[in-house]
Amino acid sequence: MTATTDLARLSTPYWQRTRWQTWLLIAVLIGGGFVMLYPFAWLVLSAFKLPADIIRIPPTLWPEEWSLEAFQVVLSHKIGGGSLTRSYLNSLFVTITTVIAVLITSTLGGYCFARLRFPLREPLFYFVLSTTMVPFLTLLIPLYVVMDRLELLNTLWVLIVPSVFSSFGIFLCRQFVYGIPVELYDAAKIDGAGDFTIYTRIIVGMMKPVISVLAIFSFRATFNDYLWPLVTITDGGNYTLPLALRGIGNSFGWFDYSKVMASSLLTLIPPLIVFFIFQRNLVKGIALTGIKG
Amino acid sequence: MAVTAGPSPTDAAPVRSPRAWLSQYSWLGMGFAFSLSLFYLIMFVIPFGTAIWLSFNNWDYIQKPVFVNTRNFEKLLGDPGFWNALWTTVRFSAVEIFVALSLALLLALALSHLRPVYQYTLLAIYNLPVIMPGIVSVLLWKWLYRTNGGAFNAILESVGLPQQPFSKSPDQALWCITLMVVWIFLGNSSIVLLAAINEVPDSLLEAAQLDGASAWKRFTAVTLPLIQPAMAYQVVTSIIGTMQMFEPFQLMPGPGHSTRTLSLYTYQLGFEVLNLGYGAAVSIAMFVILLSATLFELQRRRRSWDY
Repeated sequence: MTATTDLARLSTPYWQRTRWQTWLLIAVLIGGGFVMLYPFAWLVLSAFKLPADIIRIPPTLWPEEWSLEAFQVVLSHKIGGGSLTRSYLNSLFVTITTVIAVLITSTLGGYCFARLRFPLREPLFYFVLSTTMVPFLTLLIPLYVVMDRLELLNTLWVLIVPSVFSSFGIFLCRQFVYGIPVELYDAAKIDGAGDFTIYTRIIVGMMKPVISVLAIFSFRATFNDYLWPLVTITDGGNYTLPLALRGIGNSFGWFDYSKVMASSLLTLIPPLIVFFIFQRNLVKGIALTGIKG
Repeated sequence: MAVTAGPSPTDAAPVRSPRAWLSQYSWLGMGFAFSLSLFYLIMFVIPFGTAIWLSFNNWDYIQKPVFVNTRNFEKLLGDPGFWNALWTTVRFSAVEIFVALSLALLLALALSHLRPVYQYTLLAIYNLPVIMPGIVSVLLWKWLYRTNGGAFNAILESVGLPQQPFSKSPDQALWCITLMVVWIFLGNSSIVLLAAINEVPDSLLEAAQLDGASAWKRFTAVTLPLIQPAMAYQVVTSIIGTMQMFEPFQLMPGPGHSTRTLSLYTYQLGFEVLNLGYGAAVSIAMFVILLSATLFELQRRRRSWDY
C-alpha cells in the first residue's frame, strides 16, 4: 500500500501562515457547511410540524409547536397493501443480504483472479470489467424480461439476485490481493493448506480495509436504489423504502408535507448510522477507489 | 485505469494428459469461474444481446416481436424527442460536471490547508447528502422549490428579489435539478480531489516557493498537473453518473419535455408507452454515446498527463 489514503500528512504545512488565516478559512468552510445543511434542516424540522404549521406562507423553519403527529400518521398509513414498517423490513432484508453476498463474491473473486490458476482467467476478468461500461438503462428492459421468465418479478429476490456479483467489487478486491505478498500464499501452500483454507484463514483477514469500503458502497447502492425496484415491484407488501416514500409523496405530497418529511427522516436512520460509524472508512474508501490505477 | 498483470502462483507444468492438464488448475478457481460465468451469462450477456436484438424489432410485450431491420434507428435519427432528450442530457451533464468539479476543487484546496481532524469533521458535513437515498433529496428539494411558500422563494422575498417559478418554468427546471445534484455530490468529489492534493509532495511546493512562485503559480504549475489523474477519474465517473441519472428527472420534472433526458426517455418508451423495440434502440444509442464520451475524455486526459 502506498500512502494514497493518508489524509493525515498536513501537520507540517509547506508555507508559513498566520493563525488568523486558518481561522478565516475554517469560518468560510463552516459557512459553506451551513449552506449544505440548510435543506437538511428543513427536512428535520418540518417533520415535527403540525398540518396548519407546514402550509404557512411565508414558511417558517422552526416548528411553532413540536409534534409527533406526522410520525404516528405515516407509521399507520397503508401503502398499496404494505406499510412503512413493512418496507423498512424489506429494505433491511434486501440490503443486508445483498451486502453479504457482494462481500463474499468480491473477496473470493479478487482472490481467485489474483492468485489461483484456472482456464480463461485473464479474458474472464477483463470481460467482467468491461460490463461496467454498459449503462444500466440499456439492460433494464431485457433484464426485466429475464426476471419475468425466472418468475422472480414482484418478489424481494428480484432485488437481490442481479446484484450478487459486483464487477466493481471484484476489480477492487483483485487489486488489493495483488498487494498482499505472494510469499504468504506460497508458505501456506507448502504447509499443506488448501486454496479455500488460505482464503478463509489468511486472505479474508488481510482484506479488512477493502471489505469495509465495499460494504459501505454496496449498502448505499442497494438501500438507495429506486429505478430497479420501481420497475420490478408492484405489490405494496414488497415495497422497499424508496418506493414507500414515493407512495407517501403521492398520497400526502401537496396537502401535508410534514408526513413526507417524517417518513424521509425515518428512512434516513439506517444510512445515518452506517455513515457515522464508517465515515472515516468512507473517506478512505473514496480516496482509495479514486486514485488507484 | 491501469491494471497490473499479476504473477502466476506457480509455473505451468508441462502438459501430458487431460488429467495432468486439469491438475495444474485450482478447483476453487474453476468453481468460482463457472458460477461467475453463469451469473454474467444470465444477468449480462443475455440481456445485452436481447437489447441489441430488440432494437431491430418492434415489440409491445404482448404480441410476438416483428423484425423491422434498421427502421428503429432510422426513426431515431428523425425523432425530435430523441434529439431533445440528448441535448437535455448533454447540457445537464456538462454544466453539472463543470460546476461540481470547480466547487469540489475549491473545497478540497481549502480543506487541504487544515489539520486532518478538521478535514474529517467538515467533510462529514459536506458528505451528508451523498448517503441519502436520491428520492429523499428530490422530495425535499421539490418542496423547497415550491412557488407558493417554498423556502427558496421565501429567501428571495426576504432580500427583496422577485419570486421565481423554479421547477414550474421550462427555462429553469433543468438548472433547478442541476443545482440539487451538485449539492448531492459535492462532498463526494472533493474527497477524491483532497486525497490527491494531500499526495502532492511538500518538497515540490517548497521548492517552487523558494523560486519565487506565487500561490496561484504553485497551484497551476505544481498541484494541478499532479492531480490530473484524480480529475480525470472524477470527470469520467461523473459522465457515467450524470448521463444515467434517473430519479430527479422522473420525480421533479419540468413542464413539457424540458427535463426529459435519455434515461427518462428510455424508461418511458419501455415501461409507459410499451414501445420496447424503439426503447431498446434509444438505449443502444445511449450506450454508444456514453462509451464514446468516456473514451474521448480518457484519451484527452491521458495525453495531457503523460509527461
